[in-house]
Amino acid sequence: MRRSKSSSRPQFAGPGVTDANGPGVTDANGPGVTDANGPGVTDANGPGGAAGGRRRPRSVILPYLLVLPTLIFVAMFTIWPTISSLLGSFFLQRLNIAKYREPTFAGFANYATLFHDPTFYQVLGNTAFYVLGSVPVSIALGFLFALLINRRMRGIGLARLALFHPTVLPMVSVATVWLFLLTPDYGLFNSALSFIGYRGAQNWTGNPDLALLAIIFVAIWKNAGYYMIFYLAGLQSLPREVFEAARLDGAGALTTTRKITLPLLRRTSLFVTTIAFIGAFQSVDHVFVLTSGGPSNASNILLYYLWQVRFENLNVGVASALTIVLIALLLMFTVSNFLISERKGNLDG
Amino acid sequence: MRKLVSLALSFAFVISAAGLFANGQTESPAASGPISIQVFYPVAVDAPIAQILNGYVSEFEKANPNITVKPVFSGGYNDVKTAIQTTIQGGGKPPALAVMLATDLYDLINAGYIEPLDPYLAKLPNRDSYLGDFYSSFMDNSRYNNKIWSLPFQRSAVVMYYNKDLFKQSGLSAPNSWASLAEDAQKLTVRNGNDVSRWGILWSTVGLPYWLFQPLAIGAGKNVVGSSDTEVYFNTPECIAAIKFYNSLSQKCKATPSGAQDTWGASPGDLASGRAAMIVHSTGSLAGILKQAKFDVGVMAVPGEKPNTYASVPGGGNLYILKNAPQDQKDAAFKFMQFLTEPDRVADFSIKTGYIAARKSAYETPAMKDYIAKVPQAAETRDALQYAGKELSLQNLAKVRNIFQDYLQQAFNGKLSPEEAMQKAQSEADASLKEFK
Amino acid sequence: MAEASVRSVRGRSTGFRSVSAGRFAPRHAVGRLVLAVIIGAIALVWAAPVIWAICASLRPFEYPLGSGNIWFSHRLTLANFAKVGSLAPFGHYFVNTVVVVVMTLAVQIVTSTMAAFAFANYRFRGDRLLFQIILIQMMIPTAALLVPNFATIRLLGIYNTRLAIAIPFFGSAFGTFLIRQAFLGVPRSLVDAGIIDGCSWWQLLTHIYLPPSLAALTAFGISSVSFHWNDFLWPLIITSSDQSRTLTAGLVRFTQLGEIGAQWQYLTAATLIVAGPLFVVFLIFQKSFIESFVHSGIK
Repeated sequence: MRRSKSSSRPQFAGPGVTDANGPGVTDANGPGVTDANGPGVTDANGPGGAAGGRRRPRSVILPYLLVLPTLIFVAMFTIWPTISSLLGSFFLQRLNIAKYREPTFAGFANYATLFHDPTFYQVLGNTAFYVLGSVPVSIALGFLFALLINRRMRGIGLARLALFHPTVLPMVSVATVWLFLLTPDYGLFNSALSFIGYRGAQNWTGNPDLALLAIIFVAIWKNAGYYMIFYLAGLQSLPREVFEAARLDGAGALTTTRKITLPLLRRTSLFVTTIAFIGAFQSVDHVFVLTSGGPSNASNILLYYLWQVRFENLNVGVASALTIVLIALLLMFTVSNFLISERKGNLDG
Repeated sequence: MRKLVSLALSFAFVISAAGLFANGQTESPAASGPISIQVFYPVAVDAPIAQILNGYVSEFEKANPNITVKPVFSGGYNDVKTAIQTTIQGGGKPPALAVMLATDLYDLINAGYIEPLDPYLAKLPNRDSYLGDFYSSFMDNSRYNNKIWSLPFQRSAVVMYYNKDLFKQSGLSAPNSWASLAEDAQKLTVRNGNDVSRWGILWSTVGLPYWLFQPLAIGAGKNVVGSSDTEVYFNTPECIAAIKFYNSLSQKCKATPSGAQDTWGASPGDLASGRAAMIVHSTGSLAGILKQAKFDVGVMAVPGEKPNTYASVPGGGNLYILKNAPQDQKDAAFKFMQFLTEPDRVADFSIKTGYIAARKSAYETPAMKDYIAKVPQAAETRDALQYAGKELSLQNLAKVRNIFQDYLQQAFNGKLSPEEAMQKAQSEADASLKEFK
Repeated sequence: MAEASVRSVRGRSTGFRSVSAGRFAPRHAVGRLVLAVIIGAIALVWAAPVIWAICASLRPFEYPLGSGNIWFSHRLTLANFAKVGSLAPFGHYFVNTVVVVVMTLAVQIVTSTMAAFAFANYRFRGDRLLFQIILIQMMIPTAALLVPNFATIRLLGIYNTRLAIAIPFFGSAFGTFLIRQAFLGVPRSLVDAGIIDGCSWWQLLTHIYLPPSLAALTAFGISSVSFHWNDFLWPLIITSSDQSRTLTAGLVRFTQLGEIGAQWQYLTAATLIVAGPLFVVFLIFQKSFIESFVHSGIK
């Protein structure tokens, strides 16, 4: 099976972290494992625990009241659906078979179906390729863009708009516009490629070796400007004195960026990595428009597959199981990412 | 603590302000008195469907003062289906009437969403002539278990468009077989060095490849779907020959780009701008092509393997009555359905939208005759219907279709030989249909 | 730590210098020019798709797009906008969209700031567990939300209202997460000083935590607005009349390629109608937006 080499990697925690961050973060992949406290352990605040460096007051009731409004809405509109997916994943329910129309308890049968489905593994592989292909590049570009446009200059407003605008375009429009740009022969994308000397394959959406790349290009174009916003916000909150000192020391821009800016933006990078990673699992409109997951499932990624199973194949049970697998995967990633971020948080506190 | 109270108060204020913004409406008015029905419909062509439907609704309401009809635009075909699923599973009342894909029949029956129209049809004095007036290739997707579940509404078909001027200039006549199609396509392809400035034919195979491929299989002599609800014929010599013919158009004739191609979006424009001499596409794109093309546009069924054989396949949406709606609404819905399928209205809808009129008598109306005199292609799209086979529709449709398309594309892209690909498609499809027998 | 690395790079110099937080600032005129060219080139490449979209939206429908002919036809027209505008009540949709987006953001800012403050400033039993639970909101796919949330909205009796479109997002995991991160970045010394001075929690929040976090709040505002401006499936399913529908309901009919080819001229016109207001807002506010970052950064 193509690309299965990149599939079934249990730890997704690597990509964005190692690529987008400078020194001091590359060692961050492991700690999630070494940390003695599992996720969700309430009493994680030993001397070396989360934000232990900050003297956070203990309070009995106020924090709960502050969290309450968010919690109520999240419970109603997220936790309840999650629980119902979890329950649903143990029931056989297929709307397109009359006798399975009503849910019947089936234990782990849906999970078994899923884990015996070769398409599922192909889709997992594709998803890993998609995430690894789009997340690090868009984060790196977002950081670069933030560095470039964080200045006063004539016409810089337009440049900011140019880099940022894909964020506010609806993905379905974006994808349809790209459908034209990717047209073989005369599409803008191929013209641009041939302008810089590329004379290779052109059939981006029909060639199984290129379709996923096309999806990745669109994702990068759409998201880089989004991540730029967070880096901009991060840059603005950095202490200016450090950079003054660096300037007086005669440090070059590249060195300053690598040795000062990136390490100081570690918190931003971790945030951006987390949302980029989660976001990569949540975007699907471009797949619908550009390739419908094809050709031959070559660009079928997890969320698109979930849509197919749920709303085309009408298999509610397996779709619920897929939902739970997806959430578990993302939780695993964020929990380990958090343990890292909280620990590192102490250092610059 | 006072701060917390004030914060809570301001929060409550924001919420209630939000509530003020909400222009609340009850889901459906009380059943007594006038009957109100909703119609969920998609828009999939370049036509002001909303305005057209609203026009029909006001006519209908004038004739039936006790019924109000509320058309609800619900996105594309998939969105309509998702909205109805969400409504029913979320415990809501579905609309009484909906326009959904003709091929969704089995899924909708199994899910218990729709009900047969026979009880309503039985009350019609002219039941048989009414039903017999719909084109039978459209009705093929309405019948199951000796019942009728839907009526054709916005229907299209796969046809071949060709640039008549180019054919005339090159002294060619319209193709009438695979051989002449390949020959014409080859002759009409124009190259400048390595670049192609005009393709002989464009035939999309990404997106929904099964649909545009079906005329090839039918043209070879055997459709990929049988008459029962669990039969597919993927590994037949005819289907394999059809794949080989498609591949030969690129490999042997160099008249179309090789491999699976996503030319669905661009090919109508390519035909109109002269970048392609022929395209295989939906009748739905006729209006757009006629607006853009500065030459005489020909429309015909796709040529078959043997001389003077042709093939096509229908597509598009039917009207369904939803089972969980209250009975008085369903009765009103059927009335509106009848109203929509009156010959004059079918003709009007066809003229305004570009869909094929679903009833034969619609073509006898004065409005349609006038229109065909002006736009002869409208008659050509209808004429293609006589060669149409059944659109791929059966139990477990989405799964079977995905299997078929997956291997079809592998065969187009040379990942598997046509024989091997279709062998696998057949066995996987058969396996996935076991539970449905 | 940072200072140590600064010392270690002493002596190396390039044409670029960093005068303020993370900003490349070339010393020489030539450097500035080179930088301007680089920025311009990147911006142009990045904007190429939308520039094409603008061209396509101005192209008469009668002129098909084809090879060597994808930018301008010899005539430009606004007819596509007129046609698209005639197919849906965009004015009404626009009002609804603004109402939904503003309502959502207003509530989110309040709820998220409160929650973020709790998570950043306090230790309490179950804090991490609660935080992870809230974060699930970012991970759950829409496909799993439609049916249960439809049922909840029906239970609340607000089907087919603008409130129904907005309410599932009133609690925002993303907002809580982002603002909490910003709060955690507030120097510990400041918070300690505030506590010693006897600040109430409210003063702590408004005087110590919020001022340096405005940039993060702005970033959150931007992402919330662009997400809810463009969300389409949920608004489409939870409303059934033009009275409560949003702009994307007008867009969606041009993105259906099902029975026709792509109608680039109409699609691009519709897209610009939908996204145009956001472009304008961004262009007007981007300067003060960046400036606000600068000010909050100096603190």
